[in-house]
Amino acid sequence: MTATTVADRRPVSPPEARVKRWLRRIFVWVPLAALAVWTIYPMLMTLSISFKTKADVSADPGLIPANPTLDGYRSVLEREGFQSAFVNSVVVGLGTALLTVVLAVPAAYAFARFRFRGRHLLLLFTLLPRLIPGLGLMVPLYRIAVTLGAIDHLLTLIVAFTGTVLPLAVWLFVGFFQQVPRELEEAANVDGASLYSRIRYIVMPLAFPAIITVGVLAFREAWNEFNLVLGLTSSPGSRTLPYELFLMTQTTGFQDNPGQAAFAIMTIIPFIFVYLRLERYVVSGLTSGALK
Amino acid sequence: MIQADKSTLVGHSGATPYLLSGPSIIMVTALLVFPVVYAVWVSLFDAEFIGGPQEFVGLEQYVALLQDPDFMWSVGRTLVFVTGVLVIGIPLGLIFAFALSRATGKLRFLRGITIIPYLISGIATAVIFRLILNRDFGEVNRVLGLFGIEDVAWFSNPTLAMLATMLAQVWSDLPLVILLLLGGLMTVDAELLDAADVDGATGWKRALKVSIPLIVPQLVLATILLSYQALTSLGIILALTGGGPVDATRTMPVALYEAAFVDLETNKAMAIVVVILFFNAVLTLGYWLVSRRFDLEAP
Repeated sequence: MTATTVADRRPVSPPEARVKRWLRRIFVWVPLAALAVWTIYPMLMTLSISFKTKADVSADPGLIPANPTLDGYRSVLEREGFQSAFVNSVVVGLGTALLTVVLAVPAAYAFARFRFRGRHLLLLFTLLPRLIPGLGLMVPLYRIAVTLGAIDHLLTLIVAFTGTVLPLAVWLFVGFFQQVPRELEEAANVDGASLYSRIRYIVMPLAFPAIITVGVLAFREAWNEFNLVLGLTSSPGSRTLPYELFLMTQTTGFQDNPGQAAFAIMTIIPFIFVYLRLERYVVSGLTSGALK
Repeated sequence: MIQADKSTLVGHSGATPYLLSGPSIIMVTALLVFPVVYAVWVSLFDAEFIGGPQEFVGLEQYVALLQDPDFMWSVGRTLVFVTGVLVIGIPLGLIFAFALSRATGKLRFLRGITIIPYLISGIATAVIFRLILNRDFGEVNRVLGLFGIEDVAWFSNPTLAMLATMLAQVWSDLPLVILLLLGGLMTVDAELLDAADVDGATGWKRALKVSIPLIVPQLVLATILLSYQALTSLGIILALTGGGPVDATRTMPVALYEAAFVDLETNKAMAIVVVILFFNAVLTLGYWLVSRRFDLEAP
């Protein structure tokens, strides 16, 4: 509401009311500014440090680097293990997203459309990820993988991550499938469409936003997960980015601060990019995922 | 059309739903349920030396944990850590959620930005906080310097290291709290607020007296959510402080990490896993009861 409309309605605006209005605005603006600083500033500082020389990190306090350099990024790219970790992260991320969608879509369809013994498992599905977080799985899965000789295989990571996101993925798909009108399927059914073609040509296209949401969710899980990578990998060639970044922070002696900043930025940027492009699909899914 | 599902949709048999859902159910059972059962089982055994023959010892591992001052220390540190995260996170989340609920028009873009820390891995979060809390060049110390507080050693002072870890944890999880509380605030009846306005309640007074009592369920859920995120946080702590200095930030997950991967005491590690999962289950039960009681988003 602008000042003029208020003035139109109330020709005489007493000074106290104006002060009150300003106070109210300040009470909204100050926290909003604080929120923006709290969220963005740590990342901006990291971005800034990633473009500084090692000496300038302490010598040049400015947000805009005085002598911008790509040395930080170069040191990360030249780091033994970065490239394989990057490739591993992409492969494991895409693999997890694909496997999750492939397994979750049919399961969710069954839960959404059929009355069968076992459909009550859905409730358990919604609680399991909360009951059993990745940290709880780290050591048992590590021992199991050692027994099975599955340590250091990318497929092991893909399967483990898929297991942890699957309940949530199924749950999100069920919600979506329930919104697809049953009549649509019944009509196709009358026309002779099989179960497969109903899922493929009616349910899936309508659930496209859900597929994107679940895909991004699964990718995020695989891209950011640390605990399970800690448990399930032991050789340098099979790690993913968070583990490699963790190792970089553990180097004793002189810290390569621009390098660490650059590494962090490189793990963040691809995902922020995906997120910004798909924001309208993903936000509700991501948050409901976390909250449910 | 009131008919059983089977008669309205054909092209399948009675086995179809089992075939469709089977692979997922098997995956989840094998990867989530079985490992926990396995952990409980292994925690009932012990070996005299690493790799030695396994002997059944019943609950001795748990008794040993209770009598182990190092482990009890980590339980205490966990309580401090979780409490600190709540004390910082809930008021901050509440203030930000209130501000966001008033952010209209062009300011709505702030809601999109709010979620970003949640998209960043714990390790990258730790790296960011190592940089901004750095003793020599960190931005936080620079700002504190303006107020005459010089040379704060965030990572060598035990109390400050704990605080730094809490801040990083809160930063990482606050988006969930904000969005949960914001969701609650958006459902608060606009008419009720208008009525309060007429009665002369404005700004923060209105927030305190009218809105907060109405979003108590969301506040409880946010509290539980932050608690279990903090309870099971390992990457942030490991990359930020490694559990130090002098074990100040050695929470239960760090103790688990050390038992499993440093000391290689598998049986003990499994017992710690079970203890952590127990605390987590208590929180989950609370979450479930609250969300059901108030018919909130969570099932």
